[in-house]
Amino acid sequence: MSKSFKRGILGISMVLPSFLVLVLIVVIPIISSLRESLKNDNGGYDLSNYTYLFTDKLMRSNIIFTLEITIVSSILVLLISYSLAVYMRFNNGFAVRWIRRTYMIPIFIPSVIATYGLIQLLGNHGWMARILYHLGTDSFPRIIFDMKGIILANLWFNIPFTTMLLGSALSGVPDAVIESAKDVGAGRMRIFFRLILPLTFKTLLVALTFVFMGVIGSFTAPFLIGPNAPQMLGVSMEQIFSVFQDRQLAAATAFFTFLLCSFVGYFYIRSMIKEESVRSS
Amino acid sequence: MRWYFRAIGPKKIFEFVALVVFVIFFMGPLLNLAILAFTGKWNYPDLLPSVWSLKWWTFVFQQQDIAKSIGLSFVIAALVTGISIVLCIPAAYAFARIRFPLSRFFLFSFLLTHAFPKMGLYVSIAVLFYKFGLMNTLAGVILIHIINVLMFMTWIPTSAFRNVHTAQEESARDVGASPFRVFRSITLPMALPGILVASIFTFLNSLDEAQGTFLVGIPDFKTMPIVMYSIISDYPAYAGAVFSIILTAPSIILLVAAQRFVSADVLASGFQIK
Repeated sequence: MSKSFKRGILGISMVLPSFLVLVLIVVIPIISSLRESLKNDNGGYDLSNYTYLFTDKLMRSNIIFTLEITIVSSILVLLISYSLAVYMRFNNGFAVRWIRRTYMIPIFIPSVIATYGLIQLLGNHGWMARILYHLGTDSFPRIIFDMKGIILANLWFNIPFTTMLLGSALSGVPDAVIESAKDVGAGRMRIFFRLILPLTFKTLLVALTFVFMGVIGSFTAPFLIGPNAPQMLGVSMEQIFSVFQDRQLAAATAFFTFLLCSFVGYFYIRSMIKEESVRSS
Repeated sequence: MRWYFRAIGPKKIFEFVALVVFVIFFMGPLLNLAILAFTGKWNYPDLLPSVWSLKWWTFVFQQQDIAKSIGLSFVIAALVTGISIVLCIPAAYAFARIRFPLSRFFLFSFLLTHAFPKMGLYVSIAVLFYKFGLMNTLAGVILIHIINVLMFMTWIPTSAFRNVHTAQEESARDVGASPFRVFRSITLPMALPGILVASIFTFLNSLDEAQGTFLVGIPDFKTMPIVMYSIISDYPAYAGAVFSIILTAPSIILLVAAQRFVSADVLASGFQIK
């Protein structure tokens, strides 16, 4: 046996255990849920569960509600995080130092706790309402148990993580490149659109994927602060599965969210693979 | 007043406003919980509690299921961390140092854990667990927790191992160290910060995991976040705030302890290949 062959076997045997776990907990469930979702009540296979998804009035409003929240949250998160990350990269004032020191804390806070904190802060007669009362405003908008609450919670969960990803990408843009662009007379806007944005575009895509999928597949925040109807798909899936015990329909809903995300997921995986092949060649 | 603003400049004012918004939005909810946990009496519309007290702490610790959930959560988190270290660290070393066929395919296969929306994936798994009788079992809960950590638990150590210069390993080999010795005294210590961050992140992730456990672990595996779901609806806000602090404390303690190693670059390497 040659030496490289032996090392190849060694490498594969070191990777195989975790790969098998991956197959067991991701690949097989997804294939089996596709099969399950195509079953109908009579034991045959057809698209009846999917037609129910689109014809049932409540389900349809859930889908629209979920898409609305996901798109609004994704756009807001990316805009805020990217401006924050760019500002932190090129400025070094007192406030920036403090934000840099603390912005990662929310990543480590349990999502249930953060959601609970938001309920207490922004709820009816919450702390915010009390503060505004003392400032002379008596009316407080309904945020909790409303779409606004879910979007705010999504911002809370996703901005720190996205800023972290983008911040790390921006710190990879060398100062020398920017200095030399300045030397040849490029303005701020030009430097941003011709240098910084293209150099960090790939990470922006990765961030978009994480936010988009994170929000579509979220449960805790919509479960605790969402309205009773319409619901986000994560909550309605859990109900279909645990309360109504309709596994076929639950599987169909799950598979439908996969389809919604396959578009962003495809770009994410493709850009990762492209990057790695540049490195190894 | 206006001359003062002009003197410090619009940039300073902008930064200050940004900091205030940032602090209120991100720290407000946490600060609010911290105050609630030590509240005895707080009437609307008072800005702060009129009576401070520790009575809700004794109340929370007297609840049987709450104390039980704390123990259960830590056992599960420790098991998940241990299992994922055993599974992922050898794989990470192989990706960084050994050339083997299909290594890129295997490296990217871990993307699959984050390529599907979470609740959809959990429901698919639950459908399968139901068939194999894994619902409401410890093995099922641990498997659900491992999904979330598999990718960064492999990728962060992979990039940590890649960042160890091969020149250092080679020079140790040149002076006669065995491969195992090189790994133990050169490679591992230099990659340890990355492995440590990944492990801490895994531990906290498992401690905080709620939605998957809620789906497959009910009714026997009530971890802290699951108990929190029912506390929110069944108990007064003060008790919920106390329990929130108990649930958040491990994160804060571990984060402060590992502060030196936790950086945006290390964490980011767990979610993308750079």
